[in-house]
Parts: sequence; C-alpha cells; structure tokens
Amino acid sequence: MPLLEVKDLRVNYRVYEGTLKVLNGVNISLEKGEKVGIIGESACGKTTTVKSVMRLLASNAKIAGGEVRYAGEDVLTMAKGRLRDLRRKKMSMIFQDPSAALNPVFTIRQQLYDIIKFSADTRLSKEETHEGALKYLKEAALPEPERILDSYPFQLSGGMKQRVSIAMALVSANELLIADEPGTSLDVTIEDQIMRLLKKIVEEKEISVILITHALGTVKNFVDRIYVMYAGTIVEEGPTKEVFNNPQHPYTQMLIKAVPKLTGGGVPEGILGQVPSYLTPPSGCRFVTRCPYRMEVCDQVPRMYKAGTDQKAACFLYDEGHRSK
Amino acid sequence: MNSPIMTGEGLKKYFPAKGGVIKAVDEVDFEIQKGEVLGVVGESGSGKTTLGNMIMGVYPPTSGQIIFNGKPLPSRAKDRPVQMKREIQMVFQNPASSLNPKRSVKQALEVPLKVNRGGQSVRQRVYELLELVELPVEYADRYPEELGGGEKQLVAIARALATNPSLVVLDEPTSALDVSIQAKIINVLMRLKDKLGLTYVFITHNLSLMRNVSDRVMIMYLGKVREVAATEEFFRNPLHPYTRMLLSSIPVVTDAEEAAKPEKIQSMGEIAGALDLPPGCSFNPRCSHVMDVCKTVDPPLLEVAPQHWCDCHLYPKEFKPTPTA
Repeated sequence: MPLLEVKDLRVNYRVYEGTLKVLNGVNISLEKGEKVGIIGESACGKTTTVKSVMRLLASNAKIAGGEVRYAGEDVLTMAKGRLRDLRRKKMSMIFQDPSAALNPVFTIRQQLYDIIKFSADTRLSKEETHEGALKYLKEAALPEPERILDSYPFQLSGGMKQRVSIAMALVSANELLIADEPGTSLDVTIEDQIMRLLKKIVEEKEISVILITHALGTVKNFVDRIYVMYAGTIVEEGPTKEVFNNPQHPYTQMLIKAVPKLTGGGVPEGILGQVPSYLTPPSGCRFVTRCPYRMEVCDQVPRMYKAGTDQKAACFLYDEGHRSK
Repeated sequence: MNSPIMTGEGLKKYFPAKGGVIKAVDEVDFEIQKGEVLGVVGESGSGKTTLGNMIMGVYPPTSGQIIFNGKPLPSRAKDRPVQMKREIQMVFQNPASSLNPKRSVKQALEVPLKVNRGGQSVRQRVYELLELVELPVEYADRYPEELGGGEKQLVAIARALATNPSLVVLDEPTSALDVSIQAKIINVLMRLKDKLGLTYVFITHNLSLMRNVSDRVMIMYLGKVREVAATEEFFRNPLHPYTRMLLSSIPVVTDAEEAAKPEKIQSMGEIAGALDLPPGCSFNPRCSHVMDVCKTVDPPLLEVAPQHWCDCHLYPKEFKPTPTA
C-alpha cells in the first residue's frame, strides 16, 4: 500500500466572480521513502494539491470530489483528533518564504519549543524540550544553536530562517515531508546548500518527500519521480531522468525548452499564452489553448496514456486511435 | 575599440548605519559599450541594485563619478537636464508594484510622454509603444489587475521606452516571472535592443540567462567587482573562485549543462553582513582556495587574461599582451 494516495482530487475555490475549478482530477501516489516532485508554472494547482493533503486549504476552498489516503486512511474525512495526530507525528510542511512561515514576534526558542511540546506524547521537562531543540537545529546544520534560539526571525538571514523552518518541520515529519518551493526565495548558492542538506536528511531518516518547485533544475537532482502539473491536472508522470531527457507531453517539452541553458544557444521562445482562467477552463484537455499539436479530439478530457519508455502522459497524441503523425 | 556610452570611475556608495557604514558599492569601475548588454550578476546584498540606482541618479555616489556619452553625469536625478534623463531609463523587478494599480495602461504610458513632450499626439504614441512591446493596442484601456505578470512587465518596459532612451537599466526584469513567460519577455527585450539600438545594463542573479543574452558579464560580491569578461570567455574560463562557486551551484536541466560547469566547488557559508566585512578579500571566509594573504590583503582587479579582469590572489600577475613586432 502506498504511503500517500491522491485519487481524482477536485478542488474548487469560491470567489466573488464565481467558482474557480482549480484541481481537475489529480492523481498522485507516493511510496514509503520515495521522493517525488511536482513541477509546473505558477497557479497550476501545485500548492492546492499539497495543502489538500495537509488539510490546510483556505476557507473558501471546497473539495468537490476524490480522496486523499494516508497509509490507507482517508485524510479528507478523518476526525480532527486523528488529523492532529498525523500532523503531530507523521507529516509536516516547509513553505516557500521562511520569513512568512516564522512568527516575527516570538523568538525561535519559543516557536521551536512549542512544536516540540506539541509533538511529544508526554509532558516534557524544560531540559528535555531544550535538548530536543538542540538536536533538531543540529540536524538542520545550524551553527551556534544557543544564539539562534534567542534570535527573532528578523535577526537571521534568509538561509538561516529556512534552516530553522526545516528544523521545525523535522520535529513532526517522521514519514512525510512536503517542501513547497523551499529554495525559491534564496540565492542560488544558499539554495544549493539547503537542497543538499534536505536531501541528506531525508535519505538518512527515510522520509518520503513531495517537492514542489517551478525551478526545474532543482527538482532534477532531488527526486526519483516527477509529476508535471498544468492548470490543475497532472499532464505527465515518470522517472525524473526520463521526464527530463525524453519529455512526452507537449507542455513538458515546451517547459523544459523554455529554460535558458548554461551551454548557451540563445533564449528559447517560451510558451505562448497563459494558464487558462479557472472560472471557465477548457472543458477538454486544459492545455488546448497553448498546444501546438491541437486536434479535434482535444475537446475531450484525455486519460493518462503510456508514453515514451516509462512515462504516462495525458495527451491524445499517445492514444493509438488518434495518432495522426 | 568603440567608444563607451557610459563609464563609472571609482564609484562608491556608503550608507551610514547604526554601528558603522555599509559599503554597498565600493570602488567600482565599469564601462558599457554602445549597443551591448552588460550582465551585472551577484547574490542579494552584492550591490547590484545600488549600482543601478546610482546610474539612475536615485542615490548620489559617496565618491566617484559616472560619465555618460563623454560628459559627466550629475549625481542626482534632479540636477540632470531633462534631455539627459530621457536617455537613461529603468525597468524594475516587480511589475505588480512598479505600476500604479489605479492607472490604466494608457495613463501609465502617458506620464513620461507628457513630461517629455514630443511632436506627435500622445494617443498615437501610446499605441506605438504597445505595438513595440508586442501587446495588442486594446490593452491601452486595461488596468494592471487585468493583466498577467508578463504583460504587466511588458507595459513597464513600454513605459521605460516612452522617452526614446539609449540606455536602459533592467533590474531583475524577469525574476518574478515563470520561465515560460521569462522567455517571452527576454525575446521582446532582445528584439527591441536590435530595433532601437539600445544598450542594456542587465542586473540579475541568473547566470544561465546571462549566458544567453549578455555580451559581457560582470560579477559583483559585497560591493566589489570580482570578475569581468566577455560572455564566451567568461563561461569557458571562469577564474574567480566565487564565480566558480556560483556556476557550480546553478541547478541545470540537461546533462550537457552539467558537463559545462566548472569542477564542483561546494557552496559554503553565506554572504557576510555588510557592516563587518572580513579583512582582506571579503570573500575569504567562503573561499575554497583561501590562502594566508587573502585574510590581510584585498586583491586589486587586474586584467589577468586578454579582456578578462579578476580580483583574486590566485592570479597575481597582470596579463601583458605580447608585443607584435
């Protein structure tokens, strides 16, 4: 049984203008100890997907269908107390912007102690809490832990703050760690350090990871498998190497091509147009408005077809009946 | 060599701060040729934007001066003649905050046109500008909130071009955008450069992008120029250990790029606080080649290979062109 299974998940947001149909049947599965990545442009539903897993969706979001199973249990309908146990012991999340994730008016000590006490089964003594805090700060490779504990977030650099939020996430993430763009707000040199650290920790402790990013290079060195997301749908999935070396879905192909290469060769054209409005998304394949291979059949919703050596792509190009090439 | 459109001589910008001075830009010399793209690259806090702001006249330099078209540029924008201000324009990082949300695209573009009265009708020129940045003329009556991030940035570019500048400072124009949109914006910028004969000072932290658009790359770290070379030479033969660390930290997409990186120098440490700079070469605490001399003597910027400057004790000898008899 997979550790996490997201099946046909549909999430809508109610807004003033109407209903945004954001997630349109998302399927993701994650084995124990596996690292998967979700890539795609901004506003493609990556964060909505993982927030559904943590049940952290905003109050105007509505689950319109599908299920999220964590080790077989249905997360979306489970009792509050059980959910609390999961968040306490099993899974946790690292957010994109550490300055927004940390509370500016409390010291790191207060914030980290709170989490350690929250996740412990018994009442911890002061010394035990402190010991725990030192242990997690050490795991996150933070020098001078005492100084860090007495600091307010504004006294730390961006990279330090992100290490602190990693330490905080590690308290509860014994099985699953969700990292939502953990390096995006940092400089490349610092991002490189953070990603190497994170990889080392999760491999040592055999924690499963979902890494969300729009920086394709970052995800390439980190995860075993990749889901490519576009406008609330998974358009391609497969082993990392295959997806990068031999992308199948037109969106994946264009996305990878759009990255400026260190080897030169000029700036690619990019993908024309933009993600469709979620108020009135295309009824069939949602990429149809930007796809160069548009066919008549594309006004229907494609299922996942086998594509390439080891991938699946939600594209009619890979349906025997419709292949027109 | 052709004549430079702008040169900076011994530019310094110190900010007084509690407990000392922050040397945001310290003894920077630069030269920009007409029609070239100069990539100014560095981490946050390296002084790139301060340099851009001095070019714009936002901050007067503490010392040093900028020569523009052979004439010294008054250090404050308000002391510059309108004709001179017209020639130098800037595009900011975040179009969402650089455009007034209460002003339509037309109103945003009219401001520079009214200040710098030209012969033709304002309306005509607004349409012309929109066409120039490849936006439909209907956009004139839209408001920023109705535009995508990329489109907003195109409006900001159109606004910068309204006065027919010859030099444009681009301060991270695409770092707030997705790669697919980034590619589109960069392509428009490069087409505009060729069409209008513009010169760009392209401030960015993205070296992969610079590989593809700039003619020369200038690396900054803690207010100083560390390495300058033509793009080809720079990427073929990166000299400064900081440059190599930056290059090897870049997350890349293809195997060919991985091979193009210099030998792996693991990124260590963080950029020092600008208040207490390390003595000697300020990069020494993070440098993998640190020597005793680095901790006491700040190396000068020397031409260590033809047209390739670098400030590092590893390259002590100045390159002397062999005289051709």
